[in-house]
Amino acid sequence: MIWLEQLEHELGARGIKGRRRERILVELRDHIACEPGCEARLGDPVALAVSFADELGAAEARRSAFGAVAALVVAAVALIVSQLAIGAAGGPPGFEHGHSLALFVPAALGMLLAPQVALVAGTLAVVRALRRRRAGVLPAAELELIRRRTRVALLAGLATILGLELYVVDFSSVLAAWWLALVGGAAALAALALLAAMRGLSQAGEIVSEVDGPSGDIFDDVPLPGSRWLRRRPWYLGALAAIGVTAVMTLFVWHAERSLVEGLERGVLEGIAAAVGFALLGRAVGTRPVRQQAPSAGRRPETPRR
Amino acid sequence: MKPDAVSGQLESLILATVAESPAHGYAIVQQLKQRSGGAFDLAEGTVYPALHRLEHEGLLSSSWSVETGRRRRVYQLTRAGRSTLGERRREWGRFAQAVEAVLE
Repeated sequence: MIWLEQLEHELGARGIKGRRRERILVELRDHIACEPGCEARLGDPVALAVSFADELGAAEARRSAFGAVAALVVAAVALIVSQLAIGAAGGPPGFEHGHSLALFVPAALGMLLAPQVALVAGTLAVVRALRRRRAGVLPAAELELIRRRTRVALLAGLATILGLELYVVDFSSVLAAWWLALVGGAAALAALALLAAMRGLSQAGEIVSEVDGPSGDIFDDVPLPGSRWLRRRPWYLGALAAIGVTAVMTLFVWHAERSLVEGLERGVLEGIAAAVGFALLGRAVGTRPVRQQAPSAGRRPETPRR
Repeated sequence: MKPDAVSGQLESLILATVAESPAHGYAIVQQLKQRSGGAFDLAEGTVYPALHRLEHEGLLSSSWSVETGRRRRVYQLTRAGRSTLGERRREWGRFAQAVEAVLE
């Protein structure tokens, strides 16, 4: 049983614990029971634990990205329903009708900005997970990138839901009771979904993969024109994104509100927010390059797999 | 046969083995050895991460069974697994034909 004990220890050291480890051990215990003394033919327990960690690390990172997007869809539905139904509930009220600016400002920021961060980070996470869905193992740096994008998306999703709940509290004396109950309930449900996805992400992050290789960046995920040039000048990408957001939002609000001034105001604000978001979160979501670590001794290179 | 040569095709070999009938890990290893005439010399443990991966990909499904008082995980091919196996058989046929044509 020394072989199994060593495997158990090595799996634990690589973050494979609980039911997942138990299942692996039961399967290999059964294998040894079928032919006592066959441990040597099973191979090195360290190598086997590394192999499990590499494979499970990739699968769990992808799964956590998909789980996060599912939870974000629930949050998006809560936000959209709140805005579609608010007209029938006597709103939207002006901020002066709320209880306090201390509630309104974080609520507005959460409901306006956080969903955009969640959309960008969540899309990038799931695009990478889909693009690499056939890879048996992924470099540790790439797993970290998927997990970072997923984490940013989930945190932004939680900020959105928190903003929505603050909005409900701020206007609880103005808006209809049915709207408060509907939106409060939907937001609570979305918060539960997001927390469950966060738990899945946290469990995926416990698995220690040892595969070497680059994490890649946004240009690997999105075929942008001039990507070779932009890759060496990431701040130009940030500037282009901010200009693009400004233009789109200006046109959208101009068309919706029939006011160019309002369109420009909203467009410029959104553009500034996009630039700030790029500066603050660019590294986390892989839109700005992260310094790659030199391959460490003992790490496995990524191997292509059918 | 070198382990590297086998590991590149391990997934297809496992799918083909499980296609015959549902089986647990040890039985899959034994069938691989038997059907290859002992040509595949791979660390038997490597089959298990591959089984878990194939299950994650939806090509295999698994369930617990109890035999002679021992719990064991039994794997079987899913519909997606059957279709993937067919695809890989065709790919391998074309590849083997091409290699043979060059080597002969």
